[in-house]
Amino acid sequence: MLTLKELVAKVLDIDKRIINNESSPENIPSWDSFNGLMIVSELETNFNVKFTLEEVVAVRNFKDIKEALERHGIKEGLND
Amino acid sequence: MGLGEYLNQSKKIIQNPSINSCKIAILSNFTINGLGEVMQVLCNNQKIYAEVYTPDYNQYMQEIFNKSSRLYKFSPNIIFLLIDTEYMLGGDFYSFPYRLTNKERENNIEKKFQELKSLIISLEQNTSCKIVINNFLYPLYSSRGILENKQDYGIKKAIMDFNNQLEDLAKNDSQLFVFDINSFVMKEGYNSIMDSKMDYLADMKLSPSAIVSLAKEYLAYIFPLMSMTKKCIILDLDNTLWGGIIGEEGISNIKLSPEKEGKPFYDFQKRLLELSERGIILAINSRNNYNDAIEVIKNHPYMLLREDNFASIKINWDDKVKNIKEIANDLNIGIDSLVFIDDDKTNREFVKKMLPEVFVVELPESSCDYVKTLEALKIFNSFSITKEDLEKKEMYVSQKKRDELKAKVSDLNSFLNELKLEGEIISVNDFNISRTSQLTQKTNQFNLTTKRYSEGDINSFLKDENYLLKLIRVKDKFGDYGITGLAVFKKIDNSISELDNFLLSCRILGKNIEFVFLQKLIDELGKREIKKIKARFIPTSKNAPAANFLREAGFILEGKSGGEENYTLDIGKENKKNIFMEIKYADS
Repeated sequence: MLTLKELVAKVLDIDKRIINNESSPENIPSWDSFNGLMIVSELETNFNVKFTLEEVVAVRNFKDIKEALERHGIKEGLND
Repeated sequence: MGLGEYLNQSKKIIQNPSINSCKIAILSNFTINGLGEVMQVLCNNQKIYAEVYTPDYNQYMQEIFNKSSRLYKFSPNIIFLLIDTEYMLGGDFYSFPYRLTNKERENNIEKKFQELKSLIISLEQNTSCKIVINNFLYPLYSSRGILENKQDYGIKKAIMDFNNQLEDLAKNDSQLFVFDINSFVMKEGYNSIMDSKMDYLADMKLSPSAIVSLAKEYLAYIFPLMSMTKKCIILDLDNTLWGGIIGEEGISNIKLSPEKEGKPFYDFQKRLLELSERGIILAINSRNNYNDAIEVIKNHPYMLLREDNFASIKINWDDKVKNIKEIANDLNIGIDSLVFIDDDKTNREFVKKMLPEVFVVELPESSCDYVKTLEALKIFNSFSITKEDLEKKEMYVSQKKRDELKAKVSDLNSFLNELKLEGEIISVNDFNISRTSQLTQKTNQFNLTTKRYSEGDINSFLKDENYLLKLIRVKDKFGDYGITGLAVFKKIDNSISELDNFLLSCRILGKNIEFVFLQKLIDELGKREIKKIKARFIPTSKNAPAANFLREAGFILEGKSGGEENYTLDIGKENKKNIFMEIKYADS
């Protein structure tokens, strides 16, 4: 299982060390709408969760993803 | 491997000028991101460099109707067209079909089919490439519930009707192919191909995992497009065609029967037999005592594949790689057209390492999955099946008899005399055009220029009076070789003709037929006031058998440029060879 940062870094094809809470489509060029969907799809497989439409639409940045996963009871792999 | 991994891999592909390349266009009314990337990776695994063009979201219609669109500028070799049912039929019709009367539903289907047809016609007018269109998914839901199939021309029936019309349209169109999305969904399961959240978020009608599966299915069209269709399956025996080891267990104890634990092997043989009946050659490569194994092939009551089903049989204690090379040699086909099936992983790895061109099938541990594994191979597809394909088995049986004769007579001339060869020169027409195209696609060895022509190309030559196209059909006393040679001449001025292409199928090589065929056509050109013939030899990694042909036929080498050799011949100065055959014109 990948950590959250590893997963996002893999989909966006970037170094995981540059990811922080404020990382978002505004400041990461490869975070386009399709890669956004790929993040959703990979998160659901990797963490075995299902997001609602509203949860997906509400995500603005990396911190929002982390909080959404926490709400689904995920504790491991969120902070490294 | 998931879509994400394919996307990452696709970024690492680099164009390699030494491998085949193809251009794929993907047109869709919904979001299909990722499909192109997966196809690039799958093609790259088969040593094909794929360039993909996907128009912006839902721009496909403009691209199809606009003659100067980026789609046509891209000049694809193949176009995949994906339209979802609701979009095609119109949301109101799809969602409220029963507001309409039966008659109105019928008229609507007719009207919508004409719309689709105009898209296809426009594509065919603007490009000669292959077009693959997905058919339309039947709805799983109906407001009529258990009564849906009691409706007169219900929504499901209407869509089936639409699909049938599409199939009829494609049936006699060599450019158009229908991909059956309904079979695809049956295999994958509707719940796994559809992710409603992705659909609502981004109009993605196929889930990420379905995109990967669909790309794998589409690969079936790429093999024939690249002339990479496999021709021959080389089979192991023990634990491949039957269960157990014949040398240890004996003919009465091996597992092969129409029921119980022998059935997976029996069913596997059925599938192989059917492939052989459609023109895929079978051969045996087994480490065994010859007598033990051949007894099973000849006498086991449930053996479906008998001696005559195998074009080459190697049962010995030699290494498998040596045997594979000999089989390729016996059958006169390229190593890269071979498929190897063996249950032993060590053998497979050995063949992969020593002969990387061979397609090695990863046979699963359990024989229950053999049939499924064979069925999943996309490598035997071709864009047409010709009469020659269906008769291939008989041809190899005749070939065995020829080899026996050859071993008996003392020299080549008396062998050729004994064969009683007959040739027939025929024109290209509707009945043999698919064979004509296939010859240009599949002939690698005796081929002067290796120009590959589609049926569309050949049709345009037939309409152009500067072209002269002739085929040769050859028979001997053992059987019919079918149509096995093609010559394409193009007149370049009043007295000069260029030999644009000249090829012979490898199974009739070594009988001087090429010289006789060419001579007849030179005579024909002479009658048409042609004085001089220009010809070219374009060397490839495979066409060495044709390298000396022009020189031997009396052509003079004029020069070389970039590996190509340019020749000319003044008519009348050709070398005449001993002719061992009757040759006649079937038509003129």
